[in-house]
Amino acid sequence: MTIVNSNSDVDRIPLIRASGITKTFPGTRALSDVSLSVGSGEIVAVVGQNGSGKSTFVKILAGIYEMDSGTLEVRGADGEMLSSKQAQDELHFIHQDLGLVSDLSAVENLALGHQAGARALAPRQGRLERRRARELVRGFGCDFDVTTPISKLSPPERTIVAIVRALEGWTRPDNVLVLDEPTAALHGDEVDMLFTAVRRVAENGAGVLFISHRLDEVLGLADRVVAFRDGEVVADERIAGVDEAALVQMIVGREVSEADLDLVPIGGEPILSVRGLSGGRLKSLDLDLRPGEVVGVTGLIGSGREHLAPLVFGSIPRSGEVRLNGEVLPGNRPAYSIRTGVAYVPADRRADGAVMEMSLRENLTLPMLSPLRRGFGRLSRKAELAEARHWIASTEIRPPDPARQLDKFSGGNQQKVVLAKCLRTKPRVLLLDEPTQGVDVGAKAAIYELIANAANAGCAVLVCSSDVKEVRLLSSRVLVLRDGELVAELSKGEASESRVFGASAGVQVG
Amino acid sequence: MVVKMSAEAVGNTSQELQGEEESRRNQVLRLLSFRNISALYIFVFLFVLFAFWVPDTFLVFTTWKAMIDSQAITAMVAVALVIPVSAGAFDLAIGTEVGLGGILVAWLLSSQGLPIPVAIVLTILAGALIGLGSGLLITKARITTFIATLGVSSILAAMISWVSGGQQILNLGRNFQELAIGTIGPFTYPVYILLIIAAFVWYVLECTQVGRYVYSTGGNPDAARLAGVNTNAVIIGSLMACGAISAAGGILLSASLGTGDPTSGPAYLLPAFSAVFLGSTQFRSGRFNVWGTVVAVIVLATGVKGLQLAGAPVWIPELFNGAALLLAVGLANYERSGARLKVFREKFFGRMRAGRAPA
Repeated sequence: MTIVNSNSDVDRIPLIRASGITKTFPGTRALSDVSLSVGSGEIVAVVGQNGSGKSTFVKILAGIYEMDSGTLEVRGADGEMLSSKQAQDELHFIHQDLGLVSDLSAVENLALGHQAGARALAPRQGRLERRRARELVRGFGCDFDVTTPISKLSPPERTIVAIVRALEGWTRPDNVLVLDEPTAALHGDEVDMLFTAVRRVAENGAGVLFISHRLDEVLGLADRVVAFRDGEVVADERIAGVDEAALVQMIVGREVSEADLDLVPIGGEPILSVRGLSGGRLKSLDLDLRPGEVVGVTGLIGSGREHLAPLVFGSIPRSGEVRLNGEVLPGNRPAYSIRTGVAYVPADRRADGAVMEMSLRENLTLPMLSPLRRGFGRLSRKAELAEARHWIASTEIRPPDPARQLDKFSGGNQQKVVLAKCLRTKPRVLLLDEPTQGVDVGAKAAIYELIANAANAGCAVLVCSSDVKEVRLLSSRVLVLRDGELVAELSKGEASESRVFGASAGVQVG
Repeated sequence: MVVKMSAEAVGNTSQELQGEEESRRNQVLRLLSFRNISALYIFVFLFVLFAFWVPDTFLVFTTWKAMIDSQAITAMVAVALVIPVSAGAFDLAIGTEVGLGGILVAWLLSSQGLPIPVAIVLTILAGALIGLGSGLLITKARITTFIATLGVSSILAAMISWVSGGQQILNLGRNFQELAIGTIGPFTYPVYILLIIAAFVWYVLECTQVGRYVYSTGGNPDAARLAGVNTNAVIIGSLMACGAISAAGGILLSASLGTGDPTSGPAYLLPAFSAVFLGSTQFRSGRFNVWGTVVAVIVLATGVKGLQLAGAPVWIPELFNGAALLLAVGLANYERSGARLKVFREKFFGRMRAGRAPA
């Protein structure tokens, strides 16, 4: 874990200087002693896997999180280094989803960034604003109506608006631009347009911090690359001497063979067969799942990985065919899917996984209340409580209070409840989307064990996750998606971390 | 991994016992806390206040009898409102639903000369139909509940004027009036009808699968749908039940007045909402519920009655109901943010302490 600092351009004026940044969350150390600097005219790429700490670092830059210790300095207008709050004002961000208000026009989106202050109620100088917006957009070689709502613009035009907004209000050319996975939602030519703009900004003396999963983009755009792993900076090198294989090596590190879960594949005829499944970002996927088998699916954001589980379950519109035990499973009928033995754990438990205001007991039993029904539609409180106790014990939920509101449990325990409520329906197919997102290490291990137990009991499991380690650990077969298509299918033996990560990033690694 | 799990399990046994014990103690505290039954404490306060202030008129049984009789319809409408609000649909048309029920039954009786049972059944069906309309607007046309029911409310107001011609409908007959005036024991029929309806709605919401579906739809429609709940059906059904019960309230209103009055229905909107929200702060910690609502109606009525007896001007009821609604919602929000603050404090300071211990 040596920090290789081969940044030879000592003459570059540093625009950002972060040193010794440490950040701890309950149960995990997200960042430890991270140091990084970006010079004027320099494009620095930040790479790392999920959970490597790079998004935490960006959130600290953006002021969303506060660091536990360390210093963050950004060069101010007069050349002095500003720290903390003041420093954050000097940073300009383009986020993953571009961060535009889609109902407002380009002009209005640009105006959102301005501090109106005492002029908040003064009439807006519409003509002036419009002309300026048009000029800014033209500066990027574009010409479209700046008064139409963002939602009616094409994706590349939207990207331009986002760039213009981030660059707008630059008092001088040597500001800092932070791009947080800006290309996740973009297509090829839009990416080129974005990069042209970014290069132009850098040539004028700005510093650019570029966070990306896409290694080809990193190699094509950056001057220097900084790799994060397990909350530490493990490499900081000029791009000139780096090729794709070296980049993957930096990100993944030394391959650690982890203790695998005891999985007993039962095999036999596939219980779930999917043909030509498309919808969301996914284009025509075929997939077979056998009882007792755990199949892992991974891929970057936008690869279609995030849509696979809800598509199979039928909670978002789909085309193609899903068969359960030979019978067609209709789409858009969650109740039917559950009844026939398909259970789905959504990625976002707050939004889709559970009713936070209801108690643990009520959440647990919601998908299948019929066994608790007695005369006159009454639900047996006693039977329900007994079931809740049983699942609390078998999934080790803490505190073991069935009446407690779900909101008041920790993330890990909430996730256990969501998993338990699915397991309770005795599924034959278990669809898991990011099963351990926002979960601490202890709960993670417990959840893996529950998944393995379900598989050993004959359940077919599909694990969709952005966490390559997780997919490798759980699965007997790993599918890698990229741009909506299956790009690799690896057996347990073949699925080394670098190979899986390389495939999802579009790089061939032996 | 197996080794780690068992080590964890050992550490958890004492925690488990503690958790059980704590949860039982918490339950008793929760039951008696001001937060849980604040309306009862407020009721005691109001009772004592007016008992000293205007003892001659306040501490008389006929005052209470009259109040309970007159509040039965308000309580019924509020109970009706609990159903859609629990499912996340705020039915702003409830006042005009009561009004239309009252006018429709009067029109069917006097202008159409229908027998009483037929008129009642048709009116209640009409109420359910209105709920169906609102429900379809919300679920199929995807109009937000506020706008959909506000629009429906205006249309119903127009229908009330159209059917009644803006006039009171008289001559409803002695037998029909008996519905609201007749007594069993000390109270009139509407009080008992209210109790039956409230008990039924309570049973459905608290004890059955349907009730669980209603609350989950109101809590998180997306999660409910993914758990197999037909949320559209829940929303439509809850609005239909609300419409039917409101129409029944309208029938009793016309019976008690002896006329079909086009103006008195809409006045039920605000008291119903006040009671439902104040009721949600009672008993079930933030969840809309039937008995909390009924208690809230009584508490609000006691306050209004006492002030009237003490010589307060005629605009007092409206002021009191409005203030109570704001207070109730404010209280509920405060409670929620208070709970959040506590979690934050535990996390933050708990971690700080843990972090410092080894140093």
